Amino acid sequence: MNTFEGLLYGLSVATQPTVLFYCFVGVFLGTFIGVLPGVGALAAISLLLPVTYYIQPEAALVMLAGVYYGAQYGGSIAAILLRLPGTPQSAVTAIEGYPLARQGRAGLALFSAMSGSFIGSMLGILILVLFAPLLAKIGTKFGAAEYASMMLLGLVAASTVGATSPAKSMAMVVVGMILGCIGTDVNSGAMRFTFGQTALLDGVNLVALAMGLFGISEVISNIRGSDERKLREKVGLREMLKERRELRRIIFPAIRGTGLGAFFGALPGTGGVIATFISYATERKVTRTPERFGNGAVEGVAGPEAANNSGAITAFIPTLTLGIPGDVVMALMLGAMIIHGIQPGPLMLVERPEMFWGLIASFGIGNLFLLVLNLPLIGIWVALLRIPFSLLYPAIVVFVCIGVYSVRGSTFDVYSVVVIGAAGYALSLMKFNPALLLLGFVLGPLIETNLRRALLLSRGDLLVFFERPISAGFMAAIIALILWGLFTSIRSRRGGSAPASVTESGD
Amino acid sequence: MNRRQAMGGVAALAVAAAFATGAAAQDNWPSEPIHFIVGYPAGSSPDTMGRLVAEGLEERLGQPVVIENKPGAGGAIGVQQMLQGDPAYTFAITTNGPMTTSPKLIPDLAYDVQEDLKPVALIGTSPLILTLNSEAEPDNLEEFIAWSKENPGDITYGSIGQGSGSHLTTELFADAAGLDMLHIPFASFSEVTNSILGQEINAAFMAPSGALAQFKAGNLKILGISSAEPSPLAPDVPPIAGHAGMPDDFRAELWIAAVASADAPQEIVDKLNTEIDAVLNSQEAIDKMLSIGWQAQGGTQQDLADRIEKDTGVWGDVLEKAGLVKN
Repeated sequence: MNTFEGLLYGLSVATQPTVLFYCFVGVFLGTFIGVLPGVGALAAISLLLPVTYYIQPEAALVMLAGVYYGAQYGGSIAAILLRLPGTPQSAVTAIEGYPLARQGRAGLALFSAMSGSFIGSMLGILILVLFAPLLAKIGTKFGAAEYASMMLLGLVAASTVGATSPAKSMAMVVVGMILGCIGTDVNSGAMRFTFGQTALLDGVNLVALAMGLFGISEVISNIRGSDERKLREKVGLREMLKERRELRRIIFPAIRGTGLGAFFGALPGTGGVIATFISYATERKVTRTPERFGNGAVEGVAGPEAANNSGAITAFIPTLTLGIPGDVVMALMLGAMIIHGIQPGPLMLVERPEMFWGLIASFGIGNLFLLVLNLPLIGIWVALLRIPFSLLYPAIVVFVCIGVYSVRGSTFDVYSVVVIGAAGYALSLMKFNPALLLLGFVLGPLIETNLRRALLLSRGDLLVFFERPISAGFMAAIIALILWGLFTSIRSRRGGSAPASVTESGD
Repeated sequence: MNRRQAMGGVAALAVAAAFATGAAAQDNWPSEPIHFIVGYPAGSSPDTMGRLVAEGLEERLGQPVVIENKPGAGGAIGVQQMLQGDPAYTFAITTNGPMTTSPKLIPDLAYDVQEDLKPVALIGTSPLILTLNSEAEPDNLEEFIAWSKENPGDITYGSIGQGSGSHLTTELFADAAGLDMLHIPFASFSEVTNSILGQEINAAFMAPSGALAQFKAGNLKILGISSAEPSPLAPDVPPIAGHAGMPDDFRAELWIAAVASADAPQEIVDKLNTEIDAVLNSQEAIDKMLSIGWQAQGGTQQDLADRIEKDTGVWGDVLEKAGLVKN
């Protein structure tokens, strides 16, 4: 069966009425779950998994997958409207999306996010169909040395993300990395900074950190502020199309974001957070008008959203073709397939073609559903902003607590979100960018684990990072980025013009 | 009747009533929903096994069995959470880790296996399979041992973490075979598989379901299985015990079990044990568990207690030798 026949076969599976129905249910639930702060795809799939024992495997897995990529769509909505990322990946979306919403252009921001998401997903599916075996092969070529240097590149590339001073950016990344040290050390099994708390053995909860830094701190800062928001009376499709000039800015960022997301998504263990940060950093680098960044640049919404969604699609590559899930949600999907008697991996295409192609075809159908579902909803989401603060913010706090609790049923995590929220508010008063703290938190442990593993394997020889070709490529890119940064800062100083100043995300 | 007598009478009545309700509560058990605290995430093996048991129990006992996932600290958090609940209605679905090695690995662990817990029933066991990349030199266990002895300290093996079952099994194996191999810890079997496929590490003891799929696709070589007998999942894979000069009693298995608080009434634990054993005897449960790589077990409370004692000894020695004991 060639690719085209496979896809046709897959469409015949995915358009069966039952499968179609569950696909819709999946993306519908996914969108709503994505909107709710902290309640991510992980919690939703965990809850739905036992229910799927009683429906046919194709329908069950199509639905669970729909929840997963549907949640990526929904995640950006609260990030844009309330600076409350529904998923950690959408923290980047808030950097540009929230200022847009504050300027009364929430519809445009949401539309950019939706179209970025749709473009990212559809191109992601194309990449999945055409290059799955190739990307899977590249995935196995990535060892500890490659991951370590790639993460380092990610850190260097993203450290330029929206901040007034490089020292403040650096400080945030480092604090994030230090927070990432908390928990059991993978290499030695030692407990670091756990203070005898069993709840800290697995580290600080990423969702608690994201919700505290963004959601709770935003609620606190709004308690002080007055309830004045610029709102347009109507946000319909017609209003959004009036901003056609802005829309033209979406296409290329979305395509670049797709490429980045597809690459990082296909590598097991890197996760969407990095792809979105790098996409954002890329858009800031390639734009001719960097001064708009931080004040609501649609490129900074569309690019990361495309990256996020194409990554969600290509994350299925290692899971389906190698049986190697890239993150916890994919591990749960893999578990779901095994429970339904399907062993994902190198033999899946031969043993269960109906499942393999059916799932891929359902991604396309599901994303069409999402587009049709979400465009009319934009107006309704924007109407959320008309709810008085006195009702909206208490509700947000409740949802945040439920969301954080849903990750692993831990009350400790709920308490920690309060502490993190207070710290996040203090940081925002001092004009630090919490998104960078999140990046350091995600990347730090990955860099450390892989660096130490690579050195363990090379018996302490640092040259391993330059001897392995892929790793050497990343190292060269890091050096080039640093040199370019030095060059541009020297040139701008000679020219006498001050470096473009960029305001903080948020306020 | 004077006042004191009246008081005594009331007290006696109250005591009698308390006895009556106590006995009745146990006779009627379960009169309310039962809670299974699973110390692992949804979709994990302990979770799936716990749900299979819960499903059978609901049918037999006529009460809902609620699964609560409380993952963290290698399963220890689930056991701790169980101890917070009503001892007659709250039980933990846990694995060999929290019952045998966690007390040595986690300082300030909030429970003592002997004093705070009561074994209920062994649910299932899973062996581990010794795997290599399909392009590796050795073709069988004998060649692998010889190859490792020729390259002391150069052969690397992966595990899913310091003190994990796959780590300790390899250490036990290396110790018995007299090998010196380098441990590279990972966080999951997926990462280990990826590393073997990319020829970054040489070997690993892996969970059967994933390893067998890679073996069938020709990506991995399989050298032996850690259980005493061949697994029904892979009847052709020879046990390591008694082969290539390995001791006859070499055995390393992961297991999943139900445990109760030490305060749980004995009658209830007895009843739960009988019921779980009955559920595990059904062909449907056996087949479903095998399809995710686990062998249904069952047996008495004493069987589980013996296993806990024996494995605590075996793994304790391995941990001691590896210098990992924290308590």
